[in-house]
Amino acid sequence: MSGQIDALYIYDEQSNPIVEQVYRSRPPSAPAILPLYLAHAAPRPSLLYIPGATPPVTVFSVVQSNLLFLALSEVDTEPLLVLEFLHRVVDVLEDFVGAPLLSSKLQANYEVVAQLLHEMCDAGIVCNTEPNALQEVVEMPGWMGKLLGGVGLPGSSTPILGQPNALKQSMASAAAAQGPAIPWRKSGVRHTSNELYVDIIESLSVTIAPSGRLLSAISSGTIAFTAKISGVPDLLLSLTAPGGQKVLGRKMDLPVFHPCVRLARWREHPGELSFVPPDGRFILAGYEVDLLPIDPGLDQPPSHMEKLFLPAIVDIRRSLGPTGSDFEVRLILNTNFPGYSSFNRPGVGRSGSGTSTPSFLGGGSGNSSTPALEEVVVTVPIPKSVRNITDMQASRGEALFSPGSTSLEWRVPTKDAGTISGTATLRCTVVGHYLDDDLEEEVEELDADANLLQGYYDATNSYQNAEADTTKRKVKKKKKKKVVKKSSSRAAAAAAAAAAEGSASSPADPLPLTSEDPELHASEPQLPIPPIQPSSPQPPQSQSQSQKQSPTRPPPESSIFLTAPRKTKTQLNATLMPTSASVSFSVRGWLPSGIKVESLNIDPRRSRGLGEGVKPYKGVKYICVSRKGVERRC
Amino acid sequence: METISRISSMLETARELTLEAAQSAAMSRGSSTGLMNRNLTTSHIKKLLDSRNDREVLDGMRRVITLMYRSEPSLPFFSAVVKNVASANLEVKKLVYIYLVHHAEAEPDLALLSINAIQKSLTDQNPHARAMALRTMSGIRVPVISQIVSLAIKRGCGDMSPHVRKAAALAIPKCYRLDPNTLPQLIGYLTTLLGDTQYFVLGPAVAAFLDVCPDRIDLIHKHYRSLVKKLVDMDEWSQISTLRLLTFYARQCFPRKTQKGKQAVSEGFYEDEKVPESNSDGNGDEVLVLDPDLEFLLRTCKLLLQNRNSAVIVSVVRCFLYLGTPEYLDAAIGPLVALLRSPQDTQHVALYNIVAVALKHPKPFTRYANHFLVHAVDPPHIWRLKLEVLTLIFPHCGLHLKGVILSELEHFSQSTDPDLVRESVRAIGRCAQSDPSTADHCLSVLLGQITSLDDNLVSESLTVVRHLIQQDPPSHEKTVIQLVKHLGLTKNADARATIVWLVGEFAGVEPERNIAADILRILVQDFANESEAVKQQIILLGAKVYLHHLLRNPPKEAPPPEPKPERIVNEWTENEEERKEEAGDEEKQSDEPEEDRMTLLWRYLLLLARYDSSYDLRDRARLYKALLASPSSTQLANLLLLAPKPVPHAPSPSETRKDLLVGSSTLVVGPDAGMLGLKGYQNLPDWAESGQEPDPRLRENEIRPEFAEKSSMTAGERLDRALKEHESSVATSSRHQNGRVGVGGSSSKGKSLDEWLEEPETESEEETETEEEETDSEYEEVTDDEETDEEEETDEEYETDSEEQAQSTGLLRQ
Repeated sequence: MSGQIDALYIYDEQSNPIVEQVYRSRPPSAPAILPLYLAHAAPRPSLLYIPGATPPVTVFSVVQSNLLFLALSEVDTEPLLVLEFLHRVVDVLEDFVGAPLLSSKLQANYEVVAQLLHEMCDAGIVCNTEPNALQEVVEMPGWMGKLLGGVGLPGSSTPILGQPNALKQSMASAAAAQGPAIPWRKSGVRHTSNELYVDIIESLSVTIAPSGRLLSAISSGTIAFTAKISGVPDLLLSLTAPGGQKVLGRKMDLPVFHPCVRLARWREHPGELSFVPPDGRFILAGYEVDLLPIDPGLDQPPSHMEKLFLPAIVDIRRSLGPTGSDFEVRLILNTNFPGYSSFNRPGVGRSGSGTSTPSFLGGGSGNSSTPALEEVVVTVPIPKSVRNITDMQASRGEALFSPGSTSLEWRVPTKDAGTISGTATLRCTVVGHYLDDDLEEEVEELDADANLLQGYYDATNSYQNAEADTTKRKVKKKKKKKVVKKSSSRAAAAAAAAAAEGSASSPADPLPLTSEDPELHASEPQLPIPPIQPSSPQPPQSQSQSQKQSPTRPPPESSIFLTAPRKTKTQLNATLMPTSASVSFSVRGWLPSGIKVESLNIDPRRSRGLGEGVKPYKGVKYICVSRKGVERRC
Repeated sequence: METISRISSMLETARELTLEAAQSAAMSRGSSTGLMNRNLTTSHIKKLLDSRNDREVLDGMRRVITLMYRSEPSLPFFSAVVKNVASANLEVKKLVYIYLVHHAEAEPDLALLSINAIQKSLTDQNPHARAMALRTMSGIRVPVISQIVSLAIKRGCGDMSPHVRKAAALAIPKCYRLDPNTLPQLIGYLTTLLGDTQYFVLGPAVAAFLDVCPDRIDLIHKHYRSLVKKLVDMDEWSQISTLRLLTFYARQCFPRKTQKGKQAVSEGFYEDEKVPESNSDGNGDEVLVLDPDLEFLLRTCKLLLQNRNSAVIVSVVRCFLYLGTPEYLDAAIGPLVALLRSPQDTQHVALYNIVAVALKHPKPFTRYANHFLVHAVDPPHIWRLKLEVLTLIFPHCGLHLKGVILSELEHFSQSTDPDLVRESVRAIGRCAQSDPSTADHCLSVLLGQITSLDDNLVSESLTVVRHLIQQDPPSHEKTVIQLVKHLGLTKNADARATIVWLVGEFAGVEPERNIAADILRILVQDFANESEAVKQQIILLGAKVYLHHLLRNPPKEAPPPEPKPERIVNEWTENEEERKEEAGDEEKQSDEPEEDRMTLLWRYLLLLARYDSSYDLRDRARLYKALLASPSSTQLANLLLLAPKPVPHAPSPSETRKDLLVGSSTLVVGPDAGMLGLKGYQNLPDWAESGQEPDPRLRENEIRPEFAEKSSMTAGERLDRALKEHESSVATSSRHQNGRVGVGGSSSKGKSLDEWLEEPETESEEETETEEEETDSEYEEVTDDEETDEEEETDEEYETDSEEQAQSTGLLRQ
């Protein structure tokens, strides 16, 4: 039972079921399962077991462009298989009805959706998810084909309505008769303009410790490829990194490849991808680069860190202002990308090795040689106890926080004229809930009371505590311990001395506790009740007393305990402070790993069907994206 | 791997997307409403369906399908649609088939009318049409046709086109569900399909095998090597099911063998380092010997580690974890961790699998520790698992990384989310527990938290601190003293109660260092203002202190102390007014030299408790009083109060899932799935006993020479050859475009429709008749043959099988 998908349901933004596809047995219907699924609290895991449904089912869910995809299974199924399948369904649907996937597009093309869903999964067994193979059996929707013709979506050249092109039909039947030679590429591809595009997208995720040191920096990359080229081309894509090919092999960690990539070639020559591409757009490979490799067995912190360039760094300082209710976020932007100081064009310089016209210009808006930093947004998660944030003063850009939301967003424009680099700050004041205010007062009252009764004894200690709390955490820990020791040392010494003396002076009486012990008395000057007065009638009295005046607690008894720290406003506000901040941005034309496309060649010997002398247009695009990826702790 | 849709959305800015969305929404609204208004009337659609023009019929079918998916009534068109089932147009046919499969159950009689036409399509020239017909026919859920479907599958198995054979393989489970009595025939078809040379067909055949008869591993022996060989070339979905099959197969057919001294040739030279781990026997010189066939499978699996499909990666990991040696597993750890790059939904499941593997082999994950750092954006179900992985790998890291992990945990223990705080504090506790050398550091981190203003954090920290102290009480006396000092700081009832309890546990140390009595004295002063939980602990502390006191100073003379407590009991049963007198009484008693302070303190405490408002507290006080009533007989009290406490061990949260199969849904659902896991969940069988396994020679078969010849080619070479073949075939096919007749179709070419229709029916009738008598005997014969082939071994194996299963289910129940 490796994969048994009972049903696939798609819901639109308003949670109306728009596609209901049952593959096998009789699972709960789409309207029946949705409330059960939604009953689970908000961040829903991708696998939910719903024993309350009839029959009990496991529900797998994927949310993509506001559509909710649910797959149901009655038996134990490999969850990753189902999730992968759902993602493929999304991809294929986008391929056929056009991206982004919208409920209206699906509804307008039900017959295509129906055919696709029937082809992709047969009675619960996933069988065919290659977009190219599906294009051979399912016609592209007509009007969409027309609409997207200009965009050049694959299949746009196929005839609109159901008169199958004779040539295509014969090809298909030939392929069908003997099985597909290349399962991922459809046969008989024709394009009038031959184009090849490589997009390398790296998503950066960096964690910075409160001290400012980098904890981890990982960049996960994806190579997206668009092949619109006739016949059966055999391509060779060479990648390179700043340190050369050998470094690249080590740098590109944990690669995964589209099945079309010849793995043997990669193993022999890391950085060389040899493949026959599917027609259209696909993900060629994925990899990751650890920008900050640390040996797990190290005992000492690494002495030298690899220097890491980050276009945007965020810093946060908390508990500022008189009551400690302010915090300040500093954003440091840096557009001096290493290697781009002058106007040299590395991409163009190297691409001459290609067989055809070297047009290795980055597409899109970042096509100039200098990388462009865009969409800079700082996100600060705000604790739930914060009622509102007032006084948001940003030196650049605009900050937004709506009460009740969980994060503050600060957009910093980068399209202004002038330099982008530099520092921007945002200062905010937090306001807690009323509840906290009440508590604060009460606590303060109580504190004052306690303080009054306590006298001077522990005053210094409590101040020290308060101080220690507000200082930086790292330091705090050490200080705290010292404080504890110091404050305790006297009391402990007294107690210990008493005990020692007790046992030493009167060996007959081994009890360490002697209420008559002068030292103990001395150490508790303000104690209203002597420790134990065997004859005293006081205990019941004091009990009734304290019951009467319960709010004013008798002082916390004795010197061997630490006294309660004063809960100042600062401390209370400290609980309202954010604990981290992260920045999102995108950079066109720069990759953290420094990986570049060295060349993209068509092997003329192995390729077929591409006319003589046809030189396809080639384009490369590098984009670095950080989705709340650079995170600063505090 | 990222999906193309996610990458595209990354590339395009949000504004572009919304713009297009709005545009297309507007456009489609216009068109769809137009469509509705224009001609959605039933009669119009009927007219379209009845038209002779293919184009109009297609239009009509589209509308019907749209209605069907909108869950609007589309059943009224059934007869009109069925008429078109014989349409020559492939597009129309596809839609009619979809409609049929959807509605056949509601209209079984009408659906049967279409069977003939579908049967006719089974002999269509176009292999696609044949495959589709087969798929549709098996999809019609009307049990009456099971024999016809079975026959169609039989025909499909011998088809020239792999597409049709694939459809036949996929139809097998459907036919089985239609009528389980067809199983013997279906198994026959499966044997044929499992021997198919096309990887394209093999995958679905394996899936069907797993669905229909997963226990018949005797069918696999012959095909084992070809399955392993084709594994790399299969598509990802086939790889998943084949890996599953082979993993189960390997457990049942390859006994775990170890060899003394000499290392097997196939093993790497660093094998000996890992041996103690892999060998439960613990004999250092024993080396695991892999069966060459198993080794072949493992080596092939290694090639799949760069697959883009996460399910394949997890399947390989499962294969290595349960079948392979640690080196193989090491190679798979990286790709497993790489799944964290995928979308969040996949991440979640991947993390469960990572935890399951890390519970058994945490070491290799240390390399990827930085992948498990929690991000502020992670939802609870993700960070929970990440924290667990961090604690699992903690003891295997270097000091630097340990420091990083601890400060991570410390950071999150100060977050505002109470759940996160609890989990991270517990995680610190688990770190301390798993690595005693860092326990002190963890403890100091936790003690630092106690002064926090966050009550939740304080009480959680204290609970964990208590656990840590209990693990090694003697070395923590100082810690307790330090904790006691915090009594003045924290108002959290749980925290206070925990500290008081801890003091009680240390009440027995030597008098010179004993602070318990003193603490008790101080706590008693403010007894009335404590919360109930703390009061209970104070009384317990009092009882312990008093008991220790009694133990240390046994009453010198037996008679004198006896009456005293009795008297006290009597006093306390009197009413309040008398109490003062009694107090006076007590005073007098205290004047007596033998009445020591401890006793007084205890009595005072009991008095306080007696007038407490909580009956529970009063009851407890009464209990302790009775226990300690007689200073001379403390045995019972000793047993009750000073019993050694079991050392608490906080297991990793996923410890309960440790034995669940990696890659299954049950692993993710966990205990909620019930004792036996989700329906259909099956754990791996135990290793076959040595000597009980099937004869390895069964796996050698006539395919051998071909295998040897083909295996010398690399995948690339094969691809090139296939390319050439493809080219040439395209050329020939375009040349003979019209003259070409599908081989499957040629047999039926000469027959007329009626002949054809009659024939299979009579055939099937005959067959069913004869088969009804024969099936049993036939089947028995077949199995008999096989059994004689395998010479009793299979027999034994089946027995052990069932026993194993019984055992495993028994274990699960336990």
